[in-house]
Amino acid sequence: MQVLEVEQLQKTYRSGGKTVEAVKNVSFNIESCEVLAFLGANGAGKTTTIKMIAGLILPDRGVVKIAGRDPHRQSIALKSVGAVLEGNRNVYWRLTPEENLEYFGVLRGLSGYVARQRAKSLLERFELMPKRNTIVQNLSRGMQQKLAIAVALIHEPQLLLLDEPTLGLDVEATQTVKRLVREIASEGRAILLTTHQLDIAEELSDRVAIIKQGEIVAQERTDTLIQQFSGDSYRIELEQELDSDRMSKLSAIDAAIEGKTVYVRQTEWLYQALEILKPLSIIRVEKDQANLVDVFLKLVKR
Amino acid sequence: MFELFVAQLKWSWIQYKRYAHEIFGGVIALTVTFYGLFLSVGYIAGGTIRFGDRLDSVIVGYILWSLIIFIMNGVNATLQREAQVGTLEQLFISPFNVRKTLLLRAVSDLVFQFVVIGIVLIFIMAITGRWLAFSPVLILPLMTVVLGAYGLAFAIGSLTLIFKTAQQLAGILNFSLLFVLTIPTETWTGLQRYLGYLIPMTTGAGVMRDLMARQSGLDWIALGAAFLNGIVYFAIGMFLFRWSERETKRRGKLGGY
Repeated sequence: MQVLEVEQLQKTYRSGGKTVEAVKNVSFNIESCEVLAFLGANGAGKTTTIKMIAGLILPDRGVVKIAGRDPHRQSIALKSVGAVLEGNRNVYWRLTPEENLEYFGVLRGLSGYVARQRAKSLLERFELMPKRNTIVQNLSRGMQQKLAIAVALIHEPQLLLLDEPTLGLDVEATQTVKRLVREIASEGRAILLTTHQLDIAEELSDRVAIIKQGEIVAQERTDTLIQQFSGDSYRIELEQELDSDRMSKLSAIDAAIEGKTVYVRQTEWLYQALEILKPLSIIRVEKDQANLVDVFLKLVKR
Repeated sequence: MFELFVAQLKWSWIQYKRYAHEIFGGVIALTVTFYGLFLSVGYIAGGTIRFGDRLDSVIVGYILWSLIIFIMNGVNATLQREAQVGTLEQLFISPFNVRKTLLLRAVSDLVFQFVVIGIVLIFIMAITGRWLAFSPVLILPLMTVVLGAYGLAFAIGSLTLIFKTAQQLAGILNFSLLFVLTIPTETWTGLQRYLGYLIPMTTGAGVMRDLMARQSGLDWIALGAAFLNGIVYFAIGMFLFRWSERETKRRGKLGGY
């Protein structure tokens, strides 16, 4: 089921007599249970796009639909969105976690009773119960971020917008947020995730959309995209140096040798190389695998 | 909507209760400012200021002025504070339109501000030795003044949304308010009187002066004009805020103060 549909979004700003096309014909969808990593360099148009989805910036052209409703025309569409925005605390620092959850629950359209019930269960789930009466400004950064995510979920939205959710968190808090993102997606929600931490994007996302200067330059399943940018070569690490006979046989199949490591350029020659190396002891055989950092850099820098 | 109002009341109550020292400071500041004015009212007001005619009117005028200043700065202050603490966008990502949320926030803040102002009033009456009797009918002209004040509050709020800050304008308005609340339009006649109906809050303040200082009965025509005045200014404020809300979203300038 499509939770978010973004079609041909466009936004132009005028600043100091200049026209800046912040977002150009951006289109993508997110289904329930899906995490879309929305990546781009600073100023590429990520935040403008997210804010257009959340109804905070009016697009010049294009349509946003959340569960079939346009947030710019039907405010009820905002019942289906939860957002943790970058650079914002997103919660009241002078209130406790419980008070924040109850207040935002009602602000999102819940009754006071339901907001209180949900607040309790989210405090349990996010392991914030022992801190439920602590003023937010006295909580650790990790706890504050967990609370911001809990607040974004209080009305059980179908779409969750997470803008840099792990920024500034320590390792343990980052792991917790990663676990929560996986859990939230598995409950059937759609998640739009932006982050500069590409290892996290790679780990969490089902699909990736990369935006460059306001335009989407790649949109693919994460594993497919990584596969596309991965080479076809293999690396074989040996326990001992090669003898000259094996070296000449390997050279004949265009393999490169560096000390105890052999590089084979194609899959079809891998088994021939292994045959030549038999019965030498092999430590590791590894395919040249790209990661999201390689993919991102190649797409954004080209 | 009622649920949201209750949630806003609770929100305001928590702020007032948890940060009572700030409220205490406000009470002291308001009382001391009055005392300063009280001691030097003749020098400050000269012969032009009307509520200087009677001490009762001075007290009522001052209390009304501080209440209206609180209301008028409310929306502006909320927008600035929410932007600073990083929750402004969250108010906009809600099925309730933000005007409704801000209005309910302002009304719930006013409920508690009434208590604060009440304490200040008791202090002032104790200092001056003038124990005022308030007629319940006073609530009617007060409502008209409050309506107009909310209209101006949303108009200032609309400037805050567009220009990010409207503190200088708010500062100027705070003192021009003293003038607006004390223009004796109720004594004007002919065309002047009709023109007086156009000035925000003045007509309602005049009805209050009639009731309190001149001990006259309720002038229903003037009260009707005051209500009309309040409703028109309230509607203008809401309209301006709605326009600036859309304009800010169009310019992509929401947040980031």
